Amino acid sequence: MTGVRKRYPGSGVEVLRGIDLEVAAGEFASVVGRSGSGKTTLLNLIGGLDTSFEGELEVGGGSLRGLPDAELAAYRNRKVGLVFQDSQLLDHLSCADNVALAAHFDRGGRGDRARLRRRADEVLEAVGLGGAAGRRASTLSGGERQRVALARALFLEPELLLCDEPTGNLDAETGAAVVDLIAGLHAAGRLTVVAATHDDAIAAAGSRVLELRDGVLHEAAREGR
Amino acid sequence: MTPGGMARLVAADLRRHWRHFAMAAVGIVLGVAALAFFLALGLQVRRVLLEQVFPADRLEVAPRSADLDLLAIRLPLGRDALEADDLGRLAEIEGVLAVRPRMRLTVPALAVGGAAVFGAGLQSEVVADGIDPELLSGELGGAFREVSESFVERPCSRDGECGPDAYCAVSAGICRPYLPAVVSPQVVELYNGALRRAYRLPKLNPDAIAGLSFELIIGASSFAPSSTDPLRERVRLVGVSEWAIPLGLSLPLGEVRRANRRLDSPAAGERFHSAILEIASKDALPGVVAAVEASGLEVSDRGAGRAALLTAVITAALALVGVVLVAVSSAHIMHVLWLVVLVRRRELGVLRAVGARRRDIRALLVLEAAVVGAVAGLLGVVAALAAGAAADAFAGARFPDLPFKPDSFFAFEPALLAAVVALAVGACALGALAPARRAAAGDPADALAGR
Ligand SMILES: Nc1ncnc2c1ncn2[C@@H]1O[C@H](COP(=O)(O)OP(=O)(O)O)[C@@H](O)[C@H]1O
Ligand SMILES: [Mg+2]
Repeated sequence: MTGVRKRYPGSGVEVLRGIDLEVAAGEFASVVGRSGSGKTTLLNLIGGLDTSFEGELEVGGGSLRGLPDAELAAYRNRKVGLVFQDSQLLDHLSCADNVALAAHFDRGGRGDRARLRRRADEVLEAVGLGGAAGRRASTLSGGERQRVALARALFLEPELLLCDEPTGNLDAETGAAVVDLIAGLHAAGRLTVVAATHDDAIAAAGSRVLELRDGVLHEAAREGR
Repeated sequence: MTPGGMARLVAADLRRHWRHFAMAAVGIVLGVAALAFFLALGLQVRRVLLEQVFPADRLEVAPRSADLDLLAIRLPLGRDALEADDLGRLAEIEGVLAVRPRMRLTVPALAVGGAAVFGAGLQSEVVADGIDPELLSGELGGAFREVSESFVERPCSRDGECGPDAYCAVSAGICRPYLPAVVSPQVVELYNGALRRAYRLPKLNPDAIAGLSFELIIGASSFAPSSTDPLRERVRLVGVSEWAIPLGLSLPLGEVRRANRRLDSPAAGERFHSAILEIASKDALPGVVAAVEASGLEVSDRGAGRAALLTAVITAALALVGVVLVAVSSAHIMHVLWLVVLVRRRELGVLRAVGARRRDIRALLVLEAAVVGAVAGLLGVVAALAAGAAADAFAGARFPDLPFKPDSFFAFEPALLAAVVALAVGACALGALAPARRAAAGDPADALAGR
């Protein structure tokens, strides 16, 4: 992304004031910064959730600027997986239904129900919740919710995983487990990860740490792995 | 969105918000029930009226009048005549055996005479029309028929020389046939009830009217300019008929046609003011009525048409109650959906975050409303059927055997029921449009943040 600027309507300050960032395929980049520094704003832009910005933003060779709704929806559907701080599960659905949500909007079509069900079991297994497919999301603990959210993000095998403070609402121990999970997934595949955090563990797991300060990104010194 | 996914999401949402939707649906159920109930009742009453109370194998059809009354003047805006191709179309309607056109006399006429009956010579303006003699062949035998064409004129000096159906036109010195004519029972009643008393004339017996003759001067009038060459005919009444013009004189069609051509214009001899349809059976009547109305003409018969119209008006008024209920419910559905959409803002944001297009969100909400409408519509239909059955049972137990009591007072036609359910679905979907648009507006980031 080059020269990306973002100002929320009705607010005087510019949150992002010229972001230049290039993340290579397969990289694990962590974005750190104080609360309110604009991390969520940045990830929303990359994830195609927010379409009002200035500057140029390309993901996987395609520009996100001015994309029609259908194409942007397909991009969110197939190219990126999103994990939010507050998991954003649909509480009235089962874990399996939550995880398979993206498949409902996959116009490529990925096979029949049985196959979707198998894939749901597979990704739930991958996040260590093999037996939870039938449980309602409302009955899960915080750490389990975050892991289901991760499984949902991975369901259609995205190229890019965006995590916005995935451990922000978890205690240290549960958080560490989720971090390990993300690091493991990254190590296992060709997944590109961008994670916003002020959790040192995530920052440490990443191959690159960027600090967002005063609306500008600074490459932070690597602290080793 | 895949159909399967859509179905799962819709089902899950309806299950979760069923209380909201049930409240909104109550109005739809009531509206649909009222609508189905009254429409079925009206349909059946109309049917009974047309087929049993006013069974008719004949039907009078006229051009639809679209006249505009301006103070005392009536502006004729509609067509006031049937042309030859109108008659052709009527003849093609299924169930119509014959089309009998009638034609008004389009020039004035004066009746003169009657001294033999009334004791004094009278003179009166008359309105006349021509009707197809075939129409009366059953009632009057061959007495009412066209005579001028086939009559062979021969010289004479007095009436006795011309045979029973002709007279001697003394001025010309030739025999001329009597024009047969019929009058309506109303004319006889009017005469016996009012005119006779006012003018102190003898009472007429309807059965004895036949044979009465008088002079008819076609093209002459006591107050309008008369034709330079009026037709002087002698008319002989041959009977009384329901099919005669209500206040006037009905002659055989051919005679009126001849007079119109000669005294008015050739076109006046081709324009008919109405037609009488002979129907194969009374069962065919509703279909024929519908076909006539569909072709832009009007059924102007006595009784049946008016009663059917009255029923239609009352049915429409009652059905309006149902329509209003459904419309109000549509607004209610809209209100409920506004709330639901606000409550579900985040959740709809999640759907968009995982790949839902705006139109997927809109479709989801409209479909949910449509499902509510369909369920409510079906419940309403069931309620209407139950209410109808209850009403029939009540009527069966309470009312004596009325002459025209049908087995059921309701005609619950499948098409009618399908239509009211479709109305409920349509009303709900319509109510969902605005909230659905609202729900799909904006960026998913805002929705996820609950904004
Ligand atoms: N919708 C919004 N309208 C106005 N200001 C906003 C909005 N969302 C975020 N902000 C502001 O933008 C700044 C950055 O927010 P955010 O990106 O959420 O920061 P972070 O995720 O780093 O805590 C904050 O000052 C916040 O108040
Ligand atoms: Mg944030």
